[in-house]
Amino acid sequence: MNESTLFLIAFILYIVSAFFYFAFLFTKIKKSAQIGFGTVFVGFIFHTVALILRTVESGHAPFTNMYESLSFLAWASIIAYIIIEGKFKIRKAGPYFMLIVIALMAVASSPLMPKEATPLVPALQSYWLWLHVSVTLLGEAFFAVAFITSIMYLVAESKEKKGKKHSISSKKLDSISYRCIAIGFPLFTLGGLVFGMIWAYKAWGSYWSWDPKEVWSLITWFVFALYLHTRIVMGWKGRRSAFIAIFGFLAALFTYFGVNYLIAGLHSYA
Amino acid sequence: MKSILRFFSSVKLAIVLFIIITSASIVGTLIPQGQTLPEYTARFGQLADLFTRLQLTDLYHSWWFIGLLFFFALNIIICTLTRLIPKLNRTFKPKRVFEPKNINTLKIKEKFNKSWSLVKTKEALKKEFLTKHYRLHENSKENKTYLLARKKIAGWFGADIVHLGLITILTGGIISGIGGFKKNLTFTQGDILSVPQANFKLRLDKFETEYYSNGNVRDWKSTLTVFEEEKPLFSKIIEVNHPLSYKGFVFYQSSYGWNWENPSLEIWVKKRNEPSFFRKLNLKVGEKIKLEDEDLIFSVAYFIPDFFINEKNEIISRSLEPNNPAAFIEGWQENEKIFSGWIFSKFPDYARIHSQKETNLSFELKDFTAGNFSVIQAVRDPGVNIIWLGCSFLMLGLALAFYWPPREVKIILEESHGKTEVTAGGIASKSKDALQAEFETVMTSIRRLK
Repeated sequence: MNESTLFLIAFILYIVSAFFYFAFLFTKIKKSAQIGFGTVFVGFIFHTVALILRTVESGHAPFTNMYESLSFLAWASIIAYIIIEGKFKIRKAGPYFMLIVIALMAVASSPLMPKEATPLVPALQSYWLWLHVSVTLLGEAFFAVAFITSIMYLVAESKEKKGKKHSISSKKLDSISYRCIAIGFPLFTLGGLVFGMIWAYKAWGSYWSWDPKEVWSLITWFVFALYLHTRIVMGWKGRRSAFIAIFGFLAALFTYFGVNYLIAGLHSYA
Repeated sequence: MKSILRFFSSVKLAIVLFIIITSASIVGTLIPQGQTLPEYTARFGQLADLFTRLQLTDLYHSWWFIGLLFFFALNIIICTLTRLIPKLNRTFKPKRVFEPKNINTLKIKEKFNKSWSLVKTKEALKKEFLTKHYRLHENSKENKTYLLARKKIAGWFGADIVHLGLITILTGGIISGIGGFKKNLTFTQGDILSVPQANFKLRLDKFETEYYSNGNVRDWKSTLTVFEEEKPLFSKIIEVNHPLSYKGFVFYQSSYGWNWENPSLEIWVKKRNEPSFFRKLNLKVGEKIKLEDEDLIFSVAYFIPDFFINEKNEIISRSLEPNNPAAFIEGWQENEKIFSGWIFSKFPDYARIHSQKETNLSFELKDFTAGNFSVIQAVRDPGVNIIWLGCSFLMLGLALAFYWPPREVKIILEESHGKTEVTAGGIASKSKDALQAEFETVMTSIRRLK
């Protein structure tokens, strides 16, 4: 089996798991959620093998173009989700979360994304590629989970206001969002900013050039710094925090995706 | 003075600055930075003038953006210091006597009687907390004994260390901005250039481009030799991601190109009506070669690496890459030009030759070699080590702030009639559940001790 087949199997399994998850949401049959989680896990194993195969075949890290990095981000998001699920048991977030993963996989497999592994351009030939990209994307994966739980918070809160009960309390969702950001923020700082600066200094001779990608990572960092300051110092919680977390993930997404297509700069690889 | 201090110590100011700096940064990514006025006029029309006047075209180095960063730094420093002093007091001069009401208001608390003497109960408690890696402060006043057990107190300072890191990074940035130096040195093979502001020289021994089998560039490598007082010291091959560091300077492989001024050309001459005829000419631009048996003097007048005819019908080289190499050739017979025109190395059949006189000769531009030049960027950045120090503070601070949750347990012991009353409470701003579990384990084991 080659890499693209394994990728496709993983993609299909993720879609299947989303079906089971949504079935659980509507029927409340616990077994369905368990099957959903199991399917995600099997898909994740296929996905892992696909990434390993890609690395072996291409001889470089599996995130040097848009297709590879989207696939890797989807994979990292599953890791983030498995960790958060293991810790907080939020099965109800599963179906919504799988939508993000499926969206990432779908964009990755779209015909617009060149899929062939190309040899590395000179600037990317460095072990910093591994450190910089993988840690940054893992951080962003946790922001993705916080994004989902924040949206769920807004839904739960509006339900609770009307006196209805939501299956996961809004308070719990708020605290999970915070915990995700508490993991994602240090990872993003380390991978995106610190490792990025070190690599930029090694490759380009300056640690900071106000390149659009650099500026947008800084903007993302500022948004989450705002989240932490309003929350810890000023005691903001709930609705306002959820909005900042949502905005932060969108900023991260723009840093990762939008900058490449809308703004030209030094980071013209992926 | 006090009101200024209060202004700068407020977190609200920090939040306003977060929002302003973020918005300004976004503007800077929407307007391309560092272009020329005509380019801005072409793109933004009348707005271009306004943009230049507001320094939006070099936003990140504008006085107002740097001013914002300066305000931000001041805000961080004052904010951190005003919060630091009480925390330092709490760390190094903790209150060793506390009122029962201080404990009663806590969420994690317990009160029980132990049928032991005060000293024995105290020792048992101390032993339990020590095995859980707490540090203990003990104090007795009147008939009561006070125990303060604490661990991971460094976590209180996580945010302060993050702020210290940011200030260090900003300081490093200022030092880089003022003392930093950057210059491109263009070498052709064999050149020795002196490094500006330094007492040594560099020689480019060799430059080569390596290719993948599909023709894409794999790497650019320059072999550099450092010269000091006209003597060679050592050599190093530098490539992208592997610069040379020497005496505070770093040398990067920055760019490369061909020196098209005087390439060596190889031209094949054939005869249409005589397949056995073949001559190979090696010559430079401007050089004249006599083809003996043909009574012809041949020369190449120009060479262009990337032949292109623009809208004005002018022949230009579109780039410095050899994408479409072309040579303008001329042939003379007894001082009379008998033919001239372009031949193309990639399109041998498309030769455009104008002949005054019938000729059976055909010419092909078979090969060309031009000297390469290698552009080495010399950088001296005195701020860079400060930046790395700042980054270390930043990460250490984040680790402490999120993953080193401080815990405090306050205990009051009071003996009466051979029994000891234990009043204990725990404080944690983060990971309350973990403290609660730990607290309960300790208290339960003390109560059960026989």
